[in-house]
Amino acid sequence: MTMAKPKIASVWLEACAGCHMSFLDIDERIVDLLGKVELTATPITDIKTFPEVEVGVIEGALGNEEELHLAKELRERCKILIAWGDCAVFGGINCMRNFLPAGQVLKEGYVDTVSTVNPDGVLPRQDLPALLPQAIPVDRAVKVDVYVPGCPPDADTIYYVFSEILEGRIPTVPTDIMRYD
Amino acid sequence: MSDITLVIDGVECRAAKGDSILQVARRNDIYIPTLCWMEGLTPIGSCRMCVVEAEGNPKLLTACTTPAENGMKVHTKTDKLKQYRLQILELLFAGRNHFCMFCSQTGDCELQRLAIEHGMDKVRYPFLYEPFHNDATDPNIQLDHNRCILCLRCIRVCAEKVGAHTLDLEKRGWGTNVTADLGKMLGESDTCVSCGACAQVCPTGTITLRDFVYRGRRNDCDDQVESICPLCSLGCRIKAYVRTGSVARVEGLSANSPDGGQLCHRGRWGLPKSTERDRLKAPMIRTGSSFREASWEEVLNLIASKLGTASKANRAGALLSELSTDEELSVVSSFFRDTMKMEKVDGFYGNLLRGFVKGFQPFADQGVRPFTGAHNILGSDAIVVIGADPQEEAPVAASYIRVSTIIERAKLINLSAGKNPFDGITDADIRAALGGEMEKALISLRVAVEGGDEPEDPGMKEAARILREARKPVFVIGSGLAEHPALVTEALNLAVASKAFFDDGLGAVPMLRGGNCLGALNTVIGESDWLSESELDFLYVLSTGMVDEDKRSLEAMTRARFVVVHTPFMVHPLVNMADVLLPAPAWFERSGHYCTLEGERRRMNMIVPPKGNLKGLSVIMDELAGKLGLELQPASAAPCENVYEAKSPSAAARTVSLKEVL
Repeated sequence: MTMAKPKIASVWLEACAGCHMSFLDIDERIVDLLGKVELTATPITDIKTFPEVEVGVIEGALGNEEELHLAKELRERCKILIAWGDCAVFGGINCMRNFLPAGQVLKEGYVDTVSTVNPDGVLPRQDLPALLPQAIPVDRAVKVDVYVPGCPPDADTIYYVFSEILEGRIPTVPTDIMRYD
Repeated sequence: MSDITLVIDGVECRAAKGDSILQVARRNDIYIPTLCWMEGLTPIGSCRMCVVEAEGNPKLLTACTTPAENGMKVHTKTDKLKQYRLQILELLFAGRNHFCMFCSQTGDCELQRLAIEHGMDKVRYPFLYEPFHNDATDPNIQLDHNRCILCLRCIRVCAEKVGAHTLDLEKRGWGTNVTADLGKMLGESDTCVSCGACAQVCPTGTITLRDFVYRGRRNDCDDQVESICPLCSLGCRIKAYVRTGSVARVEGLSANSPDGGQLCHRGRWGLPKSTERDRLKAPMIRTGSSFREASWEEVLNLIASKLGTASKANRAGALLSELSTDEELSVVSSFFRDTMKMEKVDGFYGNLLRGFVKGFQPFADQGVRPFTGAHNILGSDAIVVIGADPQEEAPVAASYIRVSTIIERAKLINLSAGKNPFDGITDADIRAALGGEMEKALISLRVAVEGGDEPEDPGMKEAARILREARKPVFVIGSGLAEHPALVTEALNLAVASKAFFDDGLGAVPMLRGGNCLGALNTVIGESDWLSESELDFLYVLSTGMVDEDKRSLEAMTRARFVVVHTPFMVHPLVNMADVLLPAPAWFERSGHYCTLEGERRRMNMIVPPKGNLKGLSVIMDELAGKLGLELQPASAAPCENVYEAKSPSAAARTVSLKEVL
C-alpha cells in the first residue's frame, strides 16, 4: 500500500502574493515536489476551503477579521503551520499603519487621499471585513511552528523548508539563506 | 606591550594593561559581535551585544568597555550569551520601526546583519509601534528617529571627530531621541557643518544621505577603490563605491587615522555629484559661437602652430590647476618650461602660493621645514588661528581645531580682521586688519612671548600668556595672509618664539587651498604674476573642473587671443573662453600622487577607467613637442617632497627680521 501524499494548504492574507510568486521560482523542482505532496487549497489552485492537511502555509499579516478567521481555521486543520515571509513573521509592510490609529488609517485611505472621490465620506462597514486595531504577525493570533522570514523568502529557502518537512524535520532557516528584505 | 595574559575561548592572549577584552579578542581573531562600538570612537557599552562571561564573575561584562585583566578566563560564545544577544536584538526590533522591507538601508544595515547572524527568525516580544518623527529638514541628511537604536555612534563621531557637538540625546527611556542643538531640527542647526559623518557611522537606516540612497547602497556597489579627495590641501583619504561604472558614494577611509575617517561636505557631496556633470568627450574646435568635434591630429596641429608662433614672440602662457597630480604637473612643466623654455607658466593659486613661498623663504633658508602635518593640531595645547577660516579653507582642519579645543582642552587664540570663525570656544580673540595692523599685533605678541613688553589689550595679554605657557602650539595661517608675505614670516617668527617645534617642521599649518598646492610649488608656479598683466597670443589652461575659476584667471583668458582649455567637464564658465577644447580625465579617472598638508605624499587612484576619445597628458605633450620639432625634456623640477626638506631640526629655527628678508 502506498502512503497518501502529504497535503499542503496555503493562503495569501494581508500581503502582496510575492511569497507565492517566489514559491513558483523553484522552477522545475516543482514537478519533483508535486510528486511528493498534494496541493489543496492555495491561491495557485484557486481552491478556497481548507481540507484537513499536514502542512498549512500563511503568507501575510493579519489585518482584518476575515484574515484572523482564516488563520485560525487553517491552524485548526493543519499539523504544521508555516509563517511564510516577513508579513507573516514580523507583520512587514502592513505594520506601517500600526503607527496610526485604525480609524485614521481608514479615513486616510477612503476619504483624504487626493485621488479619492468620496464627497460623503462613506467608510466601509458590513460590506468589508472590519479592520483589526493593528496589523499583527501570525504568531500573535495562532501558534506558528516554522518561521520563514524574507520579502520574499528565496525560492531555495522555500524549497529547503518543504524538503526538510518532507523528511520529517521541523526546520529553522539557516542564517546563510535567511533574509528580511 | 605584553604585560598581562588572559584566556579567551581557550586561546591564550597577551595584552597590555588598559586594553579592553574586545581589543584583545580582535587582535587574536576571536569574533565578538558589536553594534554601538566603533573603531576610533569612545566605547560606551550601551548596546550590550558584546557581552562576555568571565569565570568567577557572576555578571555579564561588556567586552568593549571592560579592561582585560591578568589571568582572566573569558568565554564569548556560550549558549547563555547567544540567548542574551538574540534577546537584545529582538527587543531592538520590537522597539521601533525596524521592518527591513521598507528601509532604504536594507542590506547595508548592521542591525539586520547581526539579527540574521543570530538566526532571529521571529520576534518574541510585542512590537511597540511608537511613532517618532522623521526629521527631513536638512537638504542632504535625513534623520528618521523611527529607525534609531540609540547606539550613539552619530553623537560620538560628531563630538569626538568633527568637534561640532551638534547631536545629543533628548528625553528619557523609550522616548529618548537623538536631537540637534538642544532640541532643534537638523536643518535648523547652527552648529552642523553638513559633513555627513553621522550618516557614515549610522548602523541602521536612521541617518541617511538622500543622494546616496538613490545612487546605490554599499551592497549594491560592484567595487570599492581607495583614493584621495583632491578638493583641498589636506587630501583626505576616501573610499569610493563604484556602481555600474559610476562613483555612487564616497566615504572617509579609516577611523584610526587622525581625521577619524571623516570627510567634509565638499568631499562627501561634491565628489559624487561631479560625476553627473556633462563630459567633454572629444577634442573640439570653436566655430563662431559653438564648437565642432575634431580629430586629435587636427587640434594638435592647430595648437602646435599657434603655440610655435606665440612662444617665439614670448606671448604664450600656461595655467594649470593645483588639483593636478605631481605626475601631471611634472609632464606639463617639462613641456612648457624645459622643452618650450617658456617662463609664463603658473597655477590658478599662483599668487597665493608665491605669497606663502616668500613668507616661508627665510625659514627654508635655515634648512627648517616651515610647516607641520595638519593633524598635529590634534595633540597641541594651544592653537593660534591667524586670518584663517579653516571651515571654508580646509574643513577637516577646522574639525581638528574644534576637537583639540573642546575635547583635548587646548587653548584657542583667534587673530582676524573680521568675524571669529570659532566664536564661543576661543580663549583670546583679537581684531586686527590684514596688513600693518596684524603685523604689529604679531610682533607685539612675539615680543611679549620672548619676555619683553606686555601688550595692553586684554586679548593680546591673554594670548601672550597662553603662548608663553604652551608646550606645543600650532599656528594656522589663513590664505589671506599670502597677500602680505611679511605676515606669513611674522606668523612663523611667532611660532619660533613660542617654540612651536614639531618633528617634521615648524608648528604652522598654512591654508593652501588646492589639493596639490605643495606639489605645484616648484613645478609650475611662476616667479611673478605674469597672468594679470600679460597680453597673450596663446594660453593653455589645464583644469580639473572641480573648483570655480577665479576672476583673475578668467580675465586673462578673455584677453588671450587663443585659448586651449583642457578639462573633463563641459558645463563650466571657462569652456566659453576656449578656442580649442581638449577632453581630460576627471578626478575619478586619474591616478598619481598628491603632496598633502597632512605631511604625506598620498596616492590618487583611478576609480573607474576613462571613457571617450581621451589621450594621456604625456602623449599630448610628447606629440606637441614632436610637431614643433622638439624633444620632450625630462622635468627639471624636484619631486614635491624635496621642496621643503627638513635639513635641520625645527628647534634650530631662529626668528628673522622682516627688514632683512622682504
